[in-house]
Amino acid sequence: MRHLTAMLACALVAYPLLIAPVTSVLVIAAMALALCALGFLLGTPLVVAGAILALVEYALALWLSGAPPRLVGAALFGVGVTLLLETADFGWRAQRATLGPGVVASQIRHWATFGVIAGTSALVATGVASAASVSVRLPWAPALAATGAAVALVAVAFAVRRRRR
Amino acid sequence: MTTRLTPLVLSVTTVGAWGLVLAVFSGRAELVVVVLPLLLALLVTSRTTAPPDWSITHTISAERVFEGERVTVTVTVVAGQAVALLELFEPLPPGMRVVGGHNRGFFTLARGQRVEWKYEVECVRRGRVSLGTMHARWWDRAGFHAGETAMRAPWQLRVYPSVLPLRRLPGPRRTQSSVGNYVAPSVGEGLEPGDIREFVPGDRVRHVNWRASLRFGRLFVTQYHLERNADVILMLDTLAEAGAAPDTTVDASIRAAAALATAYLARKDRVGLIEYCGPFRWVRPDSGRAHHERLLEALLRADVMFSYVTQEVALVPRRVLPPQALVIAISPLLDARFEKAVVDLAARGFDVMVLSPSPIPLVRRARRASPSVDLACRLWALERKARAEALRRLGIAIVEWNPAEPLQAALGGLVGARRRRAAR
Repeated sequence: MRHLTAMLACALVAYPLLIAPVTSVLVIAAMALALCALGFLLGTPLVVAGAILALVEYALALWLSGAPPRLVGAALFGVGVTLLLETADFGWRAQRATLGPGVVASQIRHWATFGVIAGTSALVATGVASAASVSVRLPWAPALAATGAAVALVAVAFAVRRRRR
Repeated sequence: MTTRLTPLVLSVTTVGAWGLVLAVFSGRAELVVVVLPLLLALLVTSRTTAPPDWSITHTISAERVFEGERVTVTVTVVAGQAVALLELFEPLPPGMRVVGGHNRGFFTLARGQRVEWKYEVECVRRGRVSLGTMHARWWDRAGFHAGETAMRAPWQLRVYPSVLPLRRLPGPRRTQSSVGNYVAPSVGEGLEPGDIREFVPGDRVRHVNWRASLRFGRLFVTQYHLERNADVILMLDTLAEAGAAPDTTVDASIRAAAALATAYLARKDRVGLIEYCGPFRWVRPDSGRAHHERLLEALLRADVMFSYVTQEVALVPRRVLPPQALVIAISPLLDARFEKAVVDLAARGFDVMVLSPSPIPLVRRARRASPSVDLACRLWALERKARAEALRRLGIAIVEWNPAEPLQAALGGLVGARRRRAAR
């Protein structure tokens, strides 16, 4: 399971380097990879930090390159981040445990199915949004900021609820 | 039975939020697309999973083992309905250690499927182990949602103290009337030849010594020494202990008691046990295999139990402590109450000897080496030597045993000490 997580982490930090092969992106990539590697040894929160750093690296690469949008790559990157978190979590849980027959195979089947569905859904949603944006002009940046704030608020509320319990 | 969202949901939410924030700051649509699979995964989470229907059964390869032996635990899981991912965990008590496989397992079960899961444990410390609480957690495939429950499938294991091999044992000063392995000075029915005397009517023909009869021209018979057994009382000190489990002084004492009981019973002696833990707990002297098991059961229960009660040895009934018994006191000599009891027994004319498992190497092993520990151990050794000398002056044979070394070597010292004392 760790091989799969390591491959995903390597792919995630390498993709932004293809977009903008500059030193600053490389440094962040190295840091993200190091955090993921430490996460394998010490716990999944470090993998989460590594994933966030990979996102920062991706955003920086996009900002530096100034190239036209690559939506297929972005959808794959999103699927990769989700699978990285899920596989790292499963790998951590399955440490020092007996894995029954078919456990790994069924998990891989699930992740593959999820990857296909999530990637396709993201692309379809993007297509729909693009089509809709032709007719309806939304102020995207404030809308996204509001969505992000709402998600962050939900996350904080969830965290506080867990701690009280 | 409880269900909950897992920390992975928080992780995915955090990463998603970061993605949206970065999308705002960078003004790139790709970062919004990156967040979409994360949001989709969270949407899938909202589906609640029904608690699965499953059952477990336990089997173990042996129900009674000795310390250091291994037991294979087989857990059979049967699913009444399909389970995406079932995690089972069986916590083990401190006296057991997993040596093969794992005591935690993940299973994916189809409806009606039966899965066997095996792991091997080593029994490190004696005791009666009751197990069988299986903690179960079922997960959805993504790992966002989990439910927990615990299930009882009780199984019990008895771990007897390991029996150390012994060849030579300290012999008793006085024997009993039953048949045993000790050659008595008096003559009668036995195997060991003694004197020769003239035949008198009533002697058995098979006792006729034909060589002497032919030489002297008269009938002579060979007399034989009686073979007797002895009563051996093992007196165990459980007033205090030193060292870290599973190598405390009480553990060492119990192993020594088990070895001595096994060896003396093999010599047809009657063996009894007195556990001195403030009040007395005892097993009456007897012989045979059933009694061996009785003694081992009593040793399973033996443990340090703090008590302000101090009973006198005079309270122990005669049938438990017969007057001509050999008393082997097994004590690290940490509590003065036990020493007093030993001196009291010696003063009452009992044949008493002390086997003292030394607490110093056990404590040294449990603590980190330092000059202060070294000095304390040296002072402690001097104090123990002085106490042992005081007991010797009272005529009590005492020998110190380092539990890391074979018990036979220490008992050799005890045999020698008794022989020297008898010669004086």
